[in-house]
Amino acid sequence: MNRAIRMHADDSVAVLLCDAKKGDVLHVFDINNAFLFDIAVNENILYGNKVALHDIPEHSEIVKYGQSIGISTREIAKGCLVHVQNVKSLSVDIPDSIRREIIRQMHITD
Amino acid sequence: MEFLGYERADGSVGIRSKILIIAVDECCEGIARRIAREDKDSVVVTNWYTCMLGGNEETFYQMIALGQNPNAAGAIVISMGCGSILPSQIADPIRKTGKPVFELTCQHEGGTLKTIAKGIEYIKEIRKEIDLLKPVKVPLSRLVVGVKCGGSDTSSGIASNPAVGLAVDKLIDAGASCIGGELFELIGCEHKLLERAVSEEVKERILGLIRNEKLRWGVEGAQVETMSIGNCTGGLTTIEEKSLGALHKMGTKPIQGVLQINRYGVEKIKARGFYLSETTMLCGGAGVNFASLGAQMILWTSGAAGYECPLLPVIRVSGNTQLYNDDMDIDARGILLGTAGIADVAEAICQKVLSVAGGEKTALEGIGFSTMTLYQKDVRVENLLKLPCYK
Repeated sequence: MNRAIRMHADDSVAVLLCDAKKGDVLHVFDINNAFLFDIAVNENILYGNKVALHDIPEHSEIVKYGQSIGISTREIAKGCLVHVQNVKSLSVDIPDSIRREIIRQMHITD
Repeated sequence: MEFLGYERADGSVGIRSKILIIAVDECCEGIARRIAREDKDSVVVTNWYTCMLGGNEETFYQMIALGQNPNAAGAIVISMGCGSILPSQIADPIRKTGKPVFELTCQHEGGTLKTIAKGIEYIKEIRKEIDLLKPVKVPLSRLVVGVKCGGSDTSSGIASNPAVGLAVDKLIDAGASCIGGELFELIGCEHKLLERAVSEEVKERILGLIRNEKLRWGVEGAQVETMSIGNCTGGLTTIEEKSLGALHKMGTKPIQGVLQINRYGVEKIKARGFYLSETTMLCGGAGVNFASLGAQMILWTSGAAGYECPLLPVIRVSGNTQLYNDDMDIDARGILLGTAGIADVAEAICQKVLSVAGGEKTALEGIGFSTMTLYQKDVRVENLLKLPCYK
Protein backbone atom coordinates (compact mmCIF):
# COMPACT_ATOMS: atom_id res chain seq x y z
CA MET A 1 0.00 0.00 0.00
CA ASN A 2 1.16 3.53 -0.73
CA ARG A 3 1.69 4.76 2.83
CA ALA A 4 3.03 7.96 4.29
CA ILE A 5 3.24 9.00 7.93
CA ARG A 6 2.62 12.43 9.44
CA MET A 7 4.36 12.69 12.81
CA HIS A 8 2.42 15.65 14.28
CA ALA A 9 -0.84 17.47 13.52
CA ASP A 10 1.03 20.75 12.85
CA ASP A 11 3.40 19.20 10.30
CA SER A 12 3.72 20.62 6.79
CA VAL A 13 5.29 17.35 5.55
CA ALA A 14 4.66 13.61 5.66
CA VAL A 15 7.29 10.85 5.29
CA LEU A 16 6.87 8.29 2.50
CA LEU A 17 6.92 4.64 3.53
CA CYS A 18 7.19 3.53 -0.12
CA ASP A 19 8.69 4.76 -3.37
CA ALA A 20 6.17 6.91 -5.28
CA LYS A 21 5.99 8.00 -8.90
CA LYS A 22 4.58 11.27 -10.16
CA GLY A 23 0.78 11.04 -10.03
CA ASP A 24 0.66 8.25 -7.41
CA VAL A 25 -1.81 8.76 -4.58
CA LEU A 26 -0.49 8.24 -1.04
CA HIS A 27 -2.57 7.35 2.01
CA VAL A 28 -1.33 9.48 4.90
CA PHE A 29 -1.53 8.04 8.43
CA ASP A 30 -0.72 9.47 11.85
CA ILE A 31 1.71 7.81 14.31
CA ASN A 32 -1.11 5.73 15.80
CA ASN A 33 -1.79 4.29 12.37
CA ALA A 34 -5.08 6.22 11.94
CA PHE A 35 -5.86 7.22 8.33
CA LEU A 36 -5.79 10.99 7.78
CA PHE A 37 -6.17 11.81 4.07
CA ASP A 38 -4.87 11.07 0.57
CA ILE A 39 -2.35 13.16 -1.31
CA ALA A 40 -1.20 12.95 -4.95
CA VAL A 41 2.57 13.30 -5.45
CA ASN A 42 3.80 15.80 -8.02
CA GLU A 43 7.14 14.17 -8.80
CA ASN A 44 8.96 10.88 -8.16
CA ILE A 45 9.75 10.64 -4.44
CA LEU A 46 11.75 7.86 -2.82
CA TYR A 47 11.04 5.95 0.40
CA GLY A 48 11.90 7.87 3.57
CA ASN A 49 11.66 11.28 1.96
CA LYS A 50 9.18 14.03 2.70
CA VAL A 51 6.23 15.29 0.65
CA ALA A 52 4.73 18.77 1.09
CA LEU A 53 1.18 18.50 2.46
CA HIS A 54 0.26 22.00 1.25
CA ASP A 55 1.83 24.78 -0.82
CA ILE A 56 4.80 26.20 1.09
CA PRO A 57 5.98 29.74 0.19
CA GLU A 58 9.67 30.68 0.04
CA HIS A 59 11.32 31.48 3.42
CA SER A 60 8.76 29.45 5.40
CA GLU A 61 9.45 27.12 8.28
CA ILE A 62 9.20 23.44 7.44
CA VAL A 63 7.41 21.69 10.31
CA LYS A 64 7.97 18.03 11.29
CA TYR A 65 7.46 16.48 14.76
CA GLY A 66 5.50 19.72 15.37
CA GLN A 67 8.73 21.72 15.25
CA SER A 68 10.77 23.67 12.74
CA ILE A 69 13.34 21.54 10.90
CA GLY A 70 14.56 24.30 8.56
CA ILE A 71 13.42 26.95 6.11
CA SER A 72 12.32 26.76 2.47
CA THR A 73 14.78 28.31 0.01
CA ARG A 74 12.12 28.47 -2.73
CA GLU A 75 8.41 27.93 -3.16
CA ILE A 76 7.38 24.27 -2.70
CA ALA A 77 4.11 23.09 -4.26
CA LYS A 78 1.81 20.61 -2.51
CA GLY A 79 2.81 17.05 -3.45
CA CYS A 80 6.47 17.90 -4.15
CA LEU A 81 9.64 16.51 -2.56
CA VAL A 82 10.84 18.55 0.43
CA HIS A 83 14.60 18.08 0.72
CA VAL A 84 18.05 19.69 0.40
CA GLN A 85 17.22 21.27 -3.00
CA ASN A 86 14.51 23.47 -1.48
CA VAL A 87 15.20 23.52 2.30
CA LYS A 88 18.16 24.63 4.41
CA SER A 89 19.05 24.36 8.08
CA LEU A 90 18.76 27.41 10.30
CA SER A 91 21.42 25.92 12.57
CA VAL A 92 24.43 24.45 10.75
CA ASP A 93 23.82 23.98 7.03
CA ILE A 94 25.27 21.34 4.70
CA PRO A 95 28.25 22.54 2.62
CA ASP A 96 27.20 23.36 -0.94
CA SER A 97 29.45 20.73 -2.57
CA ILE A 98 27.83 18.06 -0.39
CA ARG A 99 24.36 19.38 -1.23
CA ARG A 100 25.15 19.04 -4.94
CA GLU A 101 26.42 15.49 -4.41
CA ILE A 102 23.22 14.49 -2.58
CA ILE A 103 21.12 15.96 -5.39
CA ARG A 104 23.22 14.07 -7.95
CA GLN A 105 23.05 10.73 -6.08
CA MET A 106 19.30 11.03 -5.56
CA HIS A 107 18.58 12.15 -9.15
CA ILE A 108 16.63 15.13 -7.82
CA THR A 109 15.51 17.66 -10.43
CA ASP A 110 17.03 20.87 -9.11
CA MET B 1 16.32 -8.32 37.14
CA GLU B 2 19.72 -10.03 37.04
CA PHE B 3 22.32 -11.09 34.50
CA LEU B 4 25.42 -13.28 34.47
CA GLY B 5 28.61 -11.23 34.38
CA TYR B 6 32.30 -11.39 35.30
CA GLU B 7 33.11 -9.58 38.52
CA ARG B 8 36.50 -7.83 38.41
CA ALA B 9 38.75 -7.22 41.42
CA ASP B 10 37.63 -3.57 41.61
CA GLY B 11 33.96 -4.57 41.90
CA SER B 12 33.02 -3.68 38.33
CA VAL B 13 31.22 -6.29 36.20
CA GLY B 14 32.23 -7.22 32.68
CA ILE B 15 29.80 -8.86 30.26
CA ARG B 16 32.70 -10.02 28.07
CA SER B 17 36.35 -10.82 28.86
CA LYS B 18 38.49 -9.14 26.23
CA ILE B 19 42.26 -8.66 26.13
CA LEU B 20 43.02 -5.05 25.32
CA ILE B 21 46.24 -4.40 23.43
CA ILE B 22 47.09 -0.73 23.58
CA ALA B 23 49.61 0.67 21.09
CA VAL B 24 50.48 3.96 22.78
CA ASP B 25 52.07 5.22 19.58
CA GLU B 26 51.26 4.56 15.94
CA CYS B 27 54.67 3.00 15.21
CA CYS B 28 53.95 -0.11 17.28
CA GLU B 29 50.53 -0.85 15.78
CA GLY B 30 51.98 -3.71 13.70
CA ILE B 31 53.45 -5.30 16.81
CA ALA B 32 50.11 -4.96 18.59
CA ARG B 33 48.22 -6.54 15.68
CA ARG B 34 50.68 -9.43 15.43
CA ILE B 35 50.32 -10.22 19.15
CA ALA B 36 46.53 -9.87 18.89
CA ARG B 37 46.42 -12.67 16.29
CA GLU B 38 47.23 -15.13 19.08
CA ASP B 39 43.87 -14.75 20.84
CA LYS B 40 40.35 -14.45 19.44
CA ASP B 41 39.29 -12.15 22.27
CA SER B 42 42.00 -9.55 21.74
CA VAL B 43 41.11 -5.96 20.85
CA VAL B 44 43.69 -3.52 19.49
CA VAL B 45 43.49 0.18 20.16
CA THR B 46 46.10 2.43 18.59
CA ASN B 47 46.92 6.03 19.38
CA TRP B 48 47.35 7.37 15.87
CA TYR B 49 47.78 11.00 16.96
CA THR B 50 51.60 10.56 17.12
CA CYS B 51 53.55 9.54 20.21
CA MET B 52 53.41 12.92 21.94
CA LEU B 53 51.47 13.51 25.13
CA GLY B 54 51.17 17.30 24.87
CA GLY B 55 47.94 18.10 23.03
CA ASN B 56 46.82 14.46 23.09
CA GLU B 57 45.74 14.26 26.71
CA GLU B 58 42.14 13.37 25.80
CA THR B 59 43.43 10.32 23.94
CA PHE B 60 45.82 9.49 26.78
CA TYR B 61 43.03 9.45 29.37
CA GLN B 62 40.79 7.42 27.09
CA MET B 63 43.47 4.75 26.64
CA ILE B 64 43.64 4.38 30.44
CA ALA B 65 39.84 4.36 30.76
CA LEU B 66 39.54 1.65 28.07
CA GLY B 67 41.86 -0.60 30.07
CA GLN B 68 39.75 0.07 33.16
CA ASN B 69 36.52 -0.83 31.33
CA PRO B 70 35.00 -3.93 32.94
CA ASN B 71 34.84 -5.76 29.57
CA ALA B 72 38.67 -5.73 29.47
CA ALA B 73 39.89 -8.71 31.51
CA GLY B 74 43.52 -7.80 30.98
CA ALA B 75 45.76 -5.50 28.97
CA ILE B 76 49.11 -5.28 27.21
CA VAL B 77 50.49 -1.77 26.76
CA ILE B 78 53.12 -1.34 24.03
CA SER B 79 55.29 1.60 23.00
CA MET B 80 58.17 1.99 20.58
CA GLY B 81 60.19 3.74 23.26
CA CYS B 82 61.11 6.96 21.51
CA GLY B 83 57.88 8.89 22.20
CA SER B 84 56.58 10.89 25.13
CA ILE B 85 54.07 8.42 26.54
CA LEU B 86 55.54 5.70 28.76
CA PRO B 87 53.62 2.39 28.88
CA SER B 88 53.68 2.62 32.69
CA GLN B 89 51.67 5.86 32.60
CA ILE B 90 48.83 3.91 30.97
CA ALA B 91 49.43 0.53 32.65
CA ASP B 92 49.69 1.68 36.30
CA PRO B 93 46.18 3.15 36.60
CA ILE B 94 44.73 0.10 34.79
CA ARG B 95 46.64 -2.22 37.14
CA LYS B 96 44.91 -0.56 40.12
CA THR B 97 41.69 -2.28 39.02
CA GLY B 98 43.38 -5.59 39.87
CA LYS B 99 43.42 -7.08 36.35
CA PRO B 100 46.61 -8.44 34.73
CA VAL B 101 48.48 -5.73 32.83
CA PHE B 102 51.79 -6.12 30.98
CA GLU B 103 54.10 -3.49 29.51
CA LEU B 104 56.37 -3.71 26.48
CA THR B 105 58.80 -1.09 25.17
CA CYS B 106 60.12 -2.21 21.81
CA GLN B 107 63.49 -0.47 22.04
CA HIS B 108 64.17 -2.03 25.47
CA GLU B 109 63.08 -5.52 24.41
CA GLY B 110 65.61 -5.60 21.60
CA GLY B 111 63.39 -4.85 18.65
CA THR B 112 60.16 -5.83 16.99
CA LEU B 113 60.57 -9.63 16.84
CA LYS B 114 61.56 -9.96 20.50
CA THR B 115 58.71 -7.64 21.51
CA ILE B 116 56.22 -9.78 19.59
CA ALA B 117 57.59 -12.97 21.15
CA LYS B 118 57.27 -11.57 24.65
CA GLY B 119 53.81 -10.15 23.87
CA ILE B 120 52.66 -13.61 22.81
CA GLU B 121 53.84 -14.99 26.18
CA TYR B 122 51.90 -12.24 27.95
CA ILE B 123 48.70 -12.80 26.00
CA LYS B 124 48.84 -16.50 26.89
CA GLU B 125 49.22 -15.61 30.57
CA ILE B 126 46.16 -13.36 30.41
CA ARG B 127 44.25 -16.14 28.61
CA LYS B 128 45.02 -18.53 31.49
CA GLU B 129 43.51 -16.05 33.95
CA ILE B 130 40.43 -15.50 31.77
CA ASP B 131 39.83 -19.24 31.55
CA LEU B 132 39.59 -19.40 35.35
CA LEU B 133 36.82 -16.77 35.48
CA LYS B 134 33.31 -17.91 36.37
CA PRO B 135 30.27 -15.75 35.63
CA VAL B 136 28.16 -14.75 38.61
CA LYS B 137 24.59 -13.46 38.91
CA VAL B 138 24.53 -9.70 39.44
CA PRO B 139 21.68 -7.18 39.59
CA LEU B 140 20.84 -5.02 36.58
CA SER B 141 22.10 -2.02 38.54
CA ARG B 142 25.61 -3.09 37.51
CA LEU B 143 24.85 -2.54 33.82
CA VAL B 144 25.67 0.67 31.96
CA VAL B 145 24.36 0.98 28.39
CA GLY B 146 25.44 3.58 25.83
CA VAL B 147 22.69 4.81 23.49
CA LYS B 148 23.49 6.13 20.03
CA CYS B 149 22.23 6.37 16.48
CA GLY B 150 24.39 5.90 13.40
CA GLY B 151 23.49 5.73 9.76
CA SER B 152 20.27 7.51 10.67
CA ASP B 153 17.50 7.90 8.14
CA THR B 154 13.89 8.91 8.44
CA SER B 155 12.87 5.50 9.80
CA SER B 156 15.14 6.12 12.83
CA GLY B 157 13.08 9.06 14.06
CA ILE B 158 9.80 7.21 13.51
CA ALA B 159 10.54 3.64 14.62
CA SER B 160 13.89 2.69 16.16
CA ASN B 161 14.59 5.84 18.20
CA PRO B 162 11.17 5.97 19.91
CA ALA B 163 11.40 2.22 20.65
CA VAL B 164 14.90 2.55 22.12
CA GLY B 165 13.77 5.59 24.13
CA LEU B 166 11.02 3.55 25.77
CA ALA B 167 13.46 0.68 26.36
CA VAL B 168 15.88 3.12 28.01
CA ASP B 169 13.10 4.24 30.40
CA LYS B 170 12.26 0.62 31.24
CA LEU B 171 15.91 -0.34 31.80
CA ILE B 172 16.39 2.62 34.15
CA ASP B 173 13.22 1.66 36.06
CA ALA B 174 14.74 -1.82 36.42
CA GLY B 175 17.95 -0.34 37.91
CA ALA B 176 20.32 0.00 34.96
CA SER B 177 22.06 3.20 33.85
CA CYS B 178 22.09 4.59 30.31
CA ILE B 179 24.35 7.17 28.70
CA GLY B 180 23.50 9.27 25.66
CA GLY B 181 25.84 11.60 23.82
CA GLU B 182 26.06 13.30 20.40
CA LEU B 183 25.54 16.73 21.94
CA PHE B 184 25.93 18.33 18.53
CA GLU B 185 22.80 16.52 17.46
CA LEU B 186 20.88 17.93 20.41
CA ILE B 187 21.20 21.51 19.17
CA GLY B 188 17.69 22.92 19.20
CA CYS B 189 16.50 20.35 21.77
CA GLU B 190 17.97 22.17 24.81
CA HIS B 191 14.59 23.24 26.24
CA LYS B 192 13.40 19.64 26.38
CA LEU B 193 16.63 18.48 28.05
CA LEU B 194 16.66 21.27 30.66
CA GLU B 195 13.24 20.12 31.90
CA ARG B 196 14.87 16.79 32.75
CA ALA B 197 18.01 18.09 34.51
CA VAL B 198 18.24 17.12 38.19
CA SER B 199 20.09 20.32 39.23
CA GLU B 200 21.15 23.79 38.16
CA GLU B 201 24.69 22.48 37.66
CA VAL B 202 23.42 19.87 35.20
CA LYS B 203 21.40 22.55 33.36
CA GLU B 204 24.51 24.70 33.04
CA ARG B 205 26.48 21.78 31.62
CA ILE B 206 23.75 20.88 29.12
CA LEU B 207 23.65 24.42 27.75
CA GLY B 208 27.42 25.00 27.89
CA LEU B 209 28.55 21.72 26.38
CA ILE B 210 25.96 21.82 23.56
CA ARG B 211 27.03 25.41 22.83
CA ASN B 212 30.64 24.22 22.68
CA GLU B 213 29.69 21.69 20.01
CA LYS B 214 27.89 24.30 17.96
CA LEU B 215 30.95 26.57 18.03
CA ARG B 216 33.42 23.71 17.43
CA TRP B 217 31.63 22.46 14.30
CA GLY B 218 30.39 25.80 12.99
CA VAL B 219 33.68 27.66 12.37
CA GLU B 220 33.07 30.19 9.60
CA GLY B 221 34.86 29.29 6.36
CA ALA B 222 35.67 25.75 7.53
CA GLN B 223 32.49 23.97 6.60
CA VAL B 224 32.36 20.39 7.75
CA GLU B 225 29.89 17.64 7.17
CA THR B 226 27.68 17.36 10.21
CA MET B 227 25.11 15.42 8.21
CA SER B 228 26.52 12.55 6.17
CA ILE B 229 25.53 12.08 2.56
CA GLY B 230 24.02 8.77 3.69
CA ASN B 231 21.84 10.58 6.23
CA CYS B 232 20.50 12.82 3.46
CA THR B 233 20.01 10.19 0.77
CA GLY B 234 18.10 8.30 3.52
CA GLY B 235 15.64 11.18 3.61
CA LEU B 236 16.93 13.50 6.34
CA THR B 237 17.22 17.09 5.18
CA THR B 238 18.65 19.18 8.05
CA ILE B 239 20.49 18.72 11.34
CA GLU B 240 17.33 19.96 13.12
CA GLU B 241 15.32 17.11 11.62
CA LYS B 242 18.01 14.59 12.53
CA SER B 243 18.21 16.01 16.09
CA LEU B 244 14.47 15.88 16.77
CA GLY B 245 14.38 12.27 15.61
CA ALA B 246 17.52 11.46 17.59
CA LEU B 247 16.16 12.94 20.82
CA HIS B 248 13.51 10.20 21.02
CA LYS B 249 16.11 7.57 21.88
CA MET B 250 17.15 9.42 25.05
CA GLY B 251 13.93 8.38 26.83
CA THR B 252 12.22 10.63 29.37
CA LYS B 253 14.02 10.01 32.68
CA PRO B 254 15.76 12.72 34.76
CA ILE B 255 19.24 13.64 33.51
CA GLN B 256 21.68 12.94 36.34
CA GLY B 257 24.68 14.61 34.75
CA VAL B 258 26.64 15.37 31.60
CA LEU B 259 29.87 13.35 31.61
CA GLN B 260 32.89 15.11 30.13
CA ILE B 261 35.64 13.49 28.11
CA ASN B 262 38.40 16.02 27.72
CA ARG B 263 42.06 16.89 28.25
CA TYR B 264 41.60 16.69 32.04
CA GLY B 265 40.17 13.19 32.14
CA VAL B 266 37.11 11.02 31.62
CA GLU B 267 34.21 11.40 34.06
CA LYS B 268 32.30 8.36 35.33
CA ILE B 269 28.70 7.93 36.45
CA LYS B 270 28.01 8.37 40.17
CA ALA B 271 24.32 7.70 40.87
CA ARG B 272 22.28 5.32 38.70
CA GLY B 273 19.99 6.67 36.01
CA PHE B 274 20.23 8.50 32.71
CA TYR B 275 23.26 10.59 31.74
CA LEU B 276 24.28 12.69 28.80
CA SER B 277 27.95 12.77 27.84
CA GLU B 278 30.46 14.24 25.43
CA THR B 279 30.38 11.00 23.42
CA THR B 280 30.89 12.09 19.81
CA MET B 281 28.33 11.66 17.03
CA LEU B 282 31.13 10.06 14.96
CA CYS B 283 30.50 6.31 15.09
CA GLY B 284 33.87 4.63 15.71
CA GLY B 285 34.90 7.30 18.20
CA ALA B 286 31.56 7.02 19.97
CA GLY B 287 32.07 3.33 20.73
CA VAL B 288 35.43 4.14 22.32
CA ASN B 289 33.92 7.11 24.21
CA PHE B 290 31.19 4.89 25.67
CA ALA B 291 33.79 2.29 26.66
CA SER B 292 35.88 5.02 28.32
CA LEU B 293 32.85 6.11 30.34
CA GLY B 294 32.50 2.56 31.65
CA ALA B 295 29.59 1.27 29.54
CA GLN B 296 29.51 -2.50 28.90
CA MET B 297 27.09 -2.42 25.95
CA ILE B 298 25.67 -0.10 23.28
CA LEU B 299 22.12 0.25 21.94
CA TRP B 300 22.41 1.47 18.35
CA THR B 301 19.60 2.71 16.18
CA SER B 302 20.19 2.76 12.47
CA GLY B 303 18.83 2.53 9.00
CA ALA B 304 21.00 -0.43 8.12
CA ALA B 305 24.52 0.39 9.35
CA GLY B 306 26.30 -2.68 10.72
CA TYR B 307 28.33 -0.83 13.34
CA GLU B 308 30.07 -3.11 15.84
CA CYS B 309 32.51 -2.19 18.61
CA PRO B 310 35.04 -4.93 19.39
CA LEU B 311 35.08 -4.13 23.14
CA LEU B 312 31.36 -3.54 23.78
CA PRO B 313 28.58 -5.67 22.27
CA VAL B 314 26.29 -3.50 20.11
CA ILE B 315 22.57 -4.20 19.80
CA ARG B 316 21.46 -2.74 16.46
CA VAL B 317 17.84 -1.66 15.98
CA SER B 318 16.35 -0.78 12.59
CA GLY B 319 12.89 -0.03 11.28
CA ASN B 320 13.93 0.61 7.68
CA THR B 321 11.64 -1.57 5.57
CA GLN B 322 13.85 -1.24 2.48
CA LEU B 323 17.34 -1.64 3.92
CA TYR B 324 16.80 -3.96 6.92
CA ASN B 325 19.37 -6.78 6.82
CA ASP B 326 21.06 -9.59 8.77
CA ASP B 327 23.27 -7.13 10.67
CA MET B 328 20.32 -5.97 12.76
CA ASP B 329 19.51 -7.46 16.17
CA ILE B 330 16.07 -5.90 16.66
CA ASP B 331 13.42 -5.53 13.97
CA ALA B 332 11.42 -2.32 14.40
CA ARG B 333 9.85 -2.41 10.94
CA GLY B 334 6.43 -3.32 12.30
CA ILE B 335 6.10 0.20 13.72
CA LEU B 336 6.24 1.61 10.17
CA LEU B 337 4.02 -1.09 8.72
CA GLY B 338 1.38 -0.64 11.40
CA THR B 339 1.80 -4.23 12.62
CA ALA B 340 3.70 -3.62 15.88
CA GLY B 341 3.57 -0.99 18.59
CA ILE B 342 6.53 0.94 19.99
CA ALA B 343 5.95 -0.86 23.32
CA ASP B 344 6.31 -4.30 21.68
CA VAL B 345 9.66 -3.39 20.14
CA ALA B 346 10.84 -1.75 23.39
CA GLU B 347 10.09 -4.97 25.26
CA ALA B 348 12.05 -6.98 22.69
CA ILE B 349 14.98 -4.58 23.12
CA CYS B 350 14.97 -5.00 26.93
CA GLN B 351 14.94 -8.80 26.60
CA LYS B 352 17.82 -8.61 24.14
CA VAL B 353 19.82 -6.36 26.49
CA LEU B 354 19.46 -8.97 29.23
CA SER B 355 20.35 -11.93 27.02
CA VAL B 356 23.37 -10.17 25.45
CA ALA B 357 24.54 -9.05 28.92
CA GLY B 358 24.33 -12.72 29.89
CA GLY B 359 26.60 -13.79 27.03
CA GLU B 360 24.37 -14.26 23.98
CA LYS B 361 26.20 -13.05 20.89
CA THR B 362 24.81 -10.18 18.84
CA ALA B 363 24.30 -10.53 15.08
CA LEU B 364 27.81 -9.21 14.35
CA GLU B 365 29.80 -10.05 17.44
CA GLY B 366 33.21 -11.40 16.51
CA ILE B 367 32.45 -10.97 12.79
CA GLY B 368 32.42 -7.39 11.55
CA PHE B 369 33.76 -4.54 13.65
CA SER B 370 34.85 -0.94 13.59
CA THR B 371 38.32 0.42 14.30
CA MET B 372 38.73 1.49 17.92
CA THR B 373 38.89 5.14 16.84
CA LEU B 374 40.36 7.44 19.47
CA TYR B 375 38.48 10.64 18.74
CA GLN B 376 39.70 13.75 20.53
CA LYS B 377 38.92 17.44 20.42
CA ASP B 378 41.73 19.64 19.06
CA VAL B 379 43.06 21.59 22.06
CA ARG B 380 44.17 24.43 19.79
CA VAL B 381 40.64 24.90 18.45
CA GLU B 382 39.32 24.63 22.01
CA ASN B 383 41.64 27.42 23.14
CA LEU B 384 41.10 29.66 20.11
CA LEU B 385 37.32 29.42 20.54
CA LYS B 386 37.69 29.71 24.35
CA LEU B 387 35.43 26.72 24.91
CA PRO B 388 34.95 26.09 28.64
CA CYS B 389 35.27 22.80 30.53
CA TYR B 390 33.47 22.19 33.82
CA LYS B 391 35.48 21.28 36.90
